[in-house]
Amino acid sequence: MSASTSIRSVSTQQAPAAENKHAARSRRDRIHGWSFMAPFLLFFGLFLIWPLIHGIVMSFTGKSLTGANSSFLGFANYAEALGDVDMWHALGNTLYFTVISTVPLVLVALLMAALVNMGLPAQWLWRLSFFAPFLLASTVVSLFFVWMFNPQLGLVNEVLSKVGIAPVDWLNNPDIAMWSIVIATLWWTVGFNFLLYLAAMQNIPQAHFEAASLDGAGGWRQFFSITLPQINQTTIMIVILQVLASLKIFDQVYQMTGGGPGGTTRTIVQYIFETGFTGYRLGYSAAISYIFFGLIVVVSIAQFAITRKRSA
Amino acid sequence: MHQPRDNSSPGLSRRQLLRGGGLALAGLGAAGLLSGCGGSAAASETAQLRFWHLLSGGDGIKMAAMIDSANSSQSAWHVNPTVLAWGAPYYTKLAMASAGGRPPELAIMHAARVPGYAPGGLLDPWDLDLLAENGVTPEDFAPRIWENSQVDGAVFSISLDSHPFILMYNTEVADKAGVLGSNGQLEEITSPDRFKEAALEMSKVTGQHGLSYGYLNDGAQMWRMFYTLYLQHGAAIELVPGQKAKVDRDVAVDVLEYIGSLLDDKIATASGDGGTAIAEFAGQDSGMIVSGVWELPTMINAGVPLDAMPIPTLFGTPAAFADSHAFVLPHQKSLDEQKRRDSYAFVAALLKGSINWAQAGHIPAYQPVVRSAAYKELMPQAHYAGAADIINYDPRAWFTGSGSDFQAYFADNIQNVFLGRTAAKDGWDSFVKRLDTLLSKPNPV
Repeated sequence: MSASTSIRSVSTQQAPAAENKHAARSRRDRIHGWSFMAPFLLFFGLFLIWPLIHGIVMSFTGKSLTGANSSFLGFANYAEALGDVDMWHALGNTLYFTVISTVPLVLVALLMAALVNMGLPAQWLWRLSFFAPFLLASTVVSLFFVWMFNPQLGLVNEVLSKVGIAPVDWLNNPDIAMWSIVIATLWWTVGFNFLLYLAAMQNIPQAHFEAASLDGAGGWRQFFSITLPQINQTTIMIVILQVLASLKIFDQVYQMTGGGPGGTTRTIVQYIFETGFTGYRLGYSAAISYIFFGLIVVVSIAQFAITRKRSA
Repeated sequence: MHQPRDNSSPGLSRRQLLRGGGLALAGLGAAGLLSGCGGSAAASETAQLRFWHLLSGGDGIKMAAMIDSANSSQSAWHVNPTVLAWGAPYYTKLAMASAGGRPPELAIMHAARVPGYAPGGLLDPWDLDLLAENGVTPEDFAPRIWENSQVDGAVFSISLDSHPFILMYNTEVADKAGVLGSNGQLEEITSPDRFKEAALEMSKVTGQHGLSYGYLNDGAQMWRMFYTLYLQHGAAIELVPGQKAKVDRDVAVDVLEYIGSLLDDKIATASGDGGTAIAEFAGQDSGMIVSGVWELPTMINAGVPLDAMPIPTLFGTPAAFADSHAFVLPHQKSLDEQKRRDSYAFVAALLKGSINWAQAGHIPAYQPVVRSAAYKELMPQAHYAGAADIINYDPRAWFTGSGSDFQAYFADNIQNVFLGRTAAKDGWDSFVKRLDTLLSKPNPV
C-alpha cells in the first residue's frame, strides 16, 4: 500500500517532471526488455528465420555443394521433384511409417498407463522402466536393435528358435524391415506418451470412479465411460505430437538399415539428406524439403481443424 | 514493509548487476578469442600442415606412425592429421570445407571419387615438375593407377596404394580339401564351376561353409564382387551425362545369377554381413573369403594359416575391382606457396616409405617400393601384388566411387537378387533405370 500512495502523491504534486521521468523510464524499460530478448532473437533469426528464407531462395536455384551451376532455375526443381519417382517412394515410406508407428505408439502407451494406474505395486519402478529407454540416444537404441535383429547371432532369432519359430530376416526382408524399425521406435519412445497418459489419468478426480462404482459400473465400463473421455484432450495432443514426430523419422532408419533393403525404408528426410549432401544438389534438395514442409503444414492444419470441430 | 523502488539508490540494482555481468562476460569472451589467436600464431616457425584422411582401425594406426616418422625426419614442416569417419560424411565435409574456402592443405580421397571433385574446382592439379624435384615421376606408378589419376589431362591425385578386392584362403583347409597346387598355393581356377567345386570341397573340411562373403546391407561389397566378375567377361560400363548408361545386360544378369548361386548356404551363407564373414573366416569356419586387402591384418592377427591371391579369372579376362587412397590438394582461396611445397615433400616421403603401408595389406602405388626386395619377401602381400596390373576403378561419373550413393543404389536393387527374392534381370533393370535417372539430371559438379 505505501508504495502506491507515495507514487500517486508524487505524480499529483510534480506532474511535468514526473511525466518526463515516466517516459524516460518506459523507454529504458523497453530497451532493457529488448536487450533481454536480444540473445533469443539473434539465434532465432540466425538459425531459424534466415535458413528458412535462404532455403526458399536456394530451392529456386541449381546451387550445388561444390558451388557449381548455381543459376536461377525458377520452379524447375519443384517440377523435377513432382516427377521424381524416388521422392514419391521416400514420401510413401514416410507416410507408411507414420501410420504403422503412430497407432501402436498411442495404443501401447495407453495400455501401459492404464495398467500402471490400476494401482500396481512399486509404481515408481514401472514408471521408470517404461520411461527409461526414452532417455537413450538414437545411436544407442539403433545399435541395440541391430545386434538383437542380427539374423545369425541376434537375441531375437535365438529366442524365436527356442520356441520353434523359423529365423526372421528382420532388417533385410523388404516386407519386414519397416516393422522392425517400428518395433525399435516403439520400445524407444513409447515411454513419453505413456508418461503423458499416466499424468492425465492421475488427474481424473477419484469421485467420478466412486460414483460410478456406487451405480454399479465395472472396471471396463469405468475405463470406457470415465477414463477415456476424461483423457480425450491428452489423446488429441499425443496423436498430433506423434504424427509430427513420426513424419520426421530419420535417425533409426539411417543407422539400422541405411534406407535398405531395396530402398524400402528410405524416408523423405534421408532422401533430402542424400540429395543435398552426398549428391551435392542443395537447390534440388531444398525444393524437396519445402514440398515436405508443405505436407506437414497441411497435416497440421487438418488435425487442428478436426480436433477443433470435435471439441466445439 | 514495502519500500518504493528507487533507481537512484546508491546500492547496486538487479538490472545494473545483470548489465554489468553481461558486459563482463562479453569482455571475457573477447579476451579468450584474442588469446586464442595469439596462441596459434606464436606456436613456432615450423609450417603446420593440415592433413585430412579417412583411415581408421589398423590403417589409421599405420598412417599415424608414418606421419610421425615423416614429421620427426625434418623440422621444416609438421603434419597435423585430422581423421574423419569413412564414407559419405567424409566426402561431404571435404567438399564443404573446400567450397567454403577453409580446406586442409592436403587430403586423402579415394581415387575413384576424384573425377567427381576435380571439374568443380574443388581440387588443384599436381605440378609434375615440383613432384620431380621431390624425386617422384609418372614412371614410378603402375600404369593403370597413373592413368586414373588424370582428369581432363591434368593430374589431380597421387595414389598411395591400390586396394583391390582379392581372395584370401586358409592353406590348411585348402590342403585337406585337395585344392592346393604343387607350389603350395591354391590351384589355378579358371572356370566358374571349378570355383564352386573347390569351395564345396572346402566346406566339407570346415563342416560349415567353403566361402565367406559379407554383403548384407553393404553396397560396396556387393558392387566389388559384381564388378570384378562383370569385368572378367570383358564387358564395361560407360556413364555419360545426358545419355543412357551403356551396360552389357546379358553379362550383368549372368554374373548376378552366378553370385546368387554361390549364396546357397553350403558354399556361402545367404545371410552374411561384413562382420559375420570376417568372424567366420577368422574362426576357420570357411576356407576362403572374398574381401578387400585391408582385412589382411585382421586375418593374420587371428592366426589363420593364410595365403592370398587376386580373384581367380573365372570368365576369361583377368580383372579386379580396386580403388586407391590418393593424395589431393584441395583448392586454396589464398595459396601459401611454402605450405604447398611442404605438402609435396610430405607426400614424397610417404610414398617412399610405403613399404610400411603394405603391411596393412594395400599394394603400394610407388613402384620402387613394389620392386624392392623387402616387398617381395612380404607374404602374403607379394602373392597378390599382380592384382595392381588388372585393377579397374569405378566407371567414371560424378556420383560413383567408394562411399558414394552409387553403391548404395546398387545395394537397393541387387540385395534382393542375391537373397533370391528378385529375379536378376529385374534387379539389374531397376538399377540401370536409376543410373539413367542420375545421368539425366543436371550435373552438380
